[in-house]
Amino acid sequence: MPVQVYSLYIFDRHTECIYSKQWFETPAPAPSALPHDQHQQANGNGPAMATAGEQQQQQQPNKPRRNKGADDAKLIFGTVFSLRNMVRKLGGDDDAFISFRTSQYKLHYYETPTNLRFALLTEPGALSMRNVLHQIYINLWVEYVVKNPLSPVEHKGGEGVRNEMFELGLDKFIRGLM
Amino acid sequence: MYYAQVRPQSVLETGCGETSDAHCPAQQLNSSIQLEADISTQNPVEQILGILALIVINKAGGLIYNRTFGDGLNQLNTNDYLVLAGTFHGVHAITTRLNPGHQPQQITAGGIPSRPDPPSGLEVMESENFRLQCFNTLTGTKFLLFTDTLQANVDVAMRKIYDLYADFVTKNPFYQLEMPIRCDTFDRKLNSYIREVNNAR
Repeated sequence: MPVQVYSLYIFDRHTECIYSKQWFETPAPAPSALPHDQHQQANGNGPAMATAGEQQQQQQPNKPRRNKGADDAKLIFGTVFSLRNMVRKLGGDDDAFISFRTSQYKLHYYETPTNLRFALLTEPGALSMRNVLHQIYINLWVEYVVKNPLSPVEHKGGEGVRNEMFELGLDKFIRGLM
Repeated sequence: MYYAQVRPQSVLETGCGETSDAHCPAQQLNSSIQLEADISTQNPVEQILGILALIVINKAGGLIYNRTFGDGLNQLNTNDYLVLAGTFHGVHAITTRLNPGHQPQQITAGGIPSRPDPPSGLEVMESENFRLQCFNTLTGTKFLLFTDTLQANVDVAMRKIYDLYADFVTKNPFYQLEMPIRCDTFDRKLNSYIREVNNAR
């Protein structure tokens, strides 16, 4: 059964997001001269200084520009961390948080004994993807990241995770599900 | 797996209708969250499966009601329940904001694209030992129903519990909105309904 996968996030034991990937096509941004505007603002102290009204107009489109991917990763980590602790408290220490669902997406969670955390966002109707995350860990993470002699032990800033074999394998695996 | 255990049906029949007054006395309505001793835990039942607990959170994230049915979940102290309610309230708000992908435009019969549903927060959470169903009312009150992983028709149970809340809590003239729920009638009706559901399995 094909399933629409939206994104995957991997967090290390220091709670840092060391890998994230989106599969859905983002809606095309509204056509505007944003990069050009920014360029002007960067060296905007010259004689071509805009009037106050114009400056406001320039800043308006800049306002929603934020690093959405990084923000989402932090929000997702906060969510799964809180839910995991909640589940442990209520269900005992051997209980494990598996997934949650809203009307728009479903988040699947998998945690290894070394506190490496995988979060996969799919369409809400998807069945359990725990085995998928387990496969990603065994067949891709261990094979291409852990066994890579050039990869560092800690993946600060995603270093060592973004290697070609892992990325290609992951993309192929996830696209095979869709 | 322990889900396969069968409960003795007859034990659950005892201990019903032990509460007294039909109306909630006014002096019970102080704002302290210290909820009284659990009626259901007095039942001598080893393992109740089915519906395990109910928590109601007001729109500000405060705990206004909690009951456990049986010992499927760890017993927490009142403070932990308060923390849990607050945490869940925050998590719910975050999950509403996280919106991957974009919704397909729903076209109605007339060819006019209808307005998409507003994003909902967490609806169902699953763990290895239990399942949590969350119902968010239009006014922001959240009902959290903890069941075991195999319980079916949780939506129906949730609907019924919401009906009981509407009938016996909000229509109670002594109940102040957003305050802890201390209504004997609600307790009684809830207990008998949950017992019915848990017995039916």
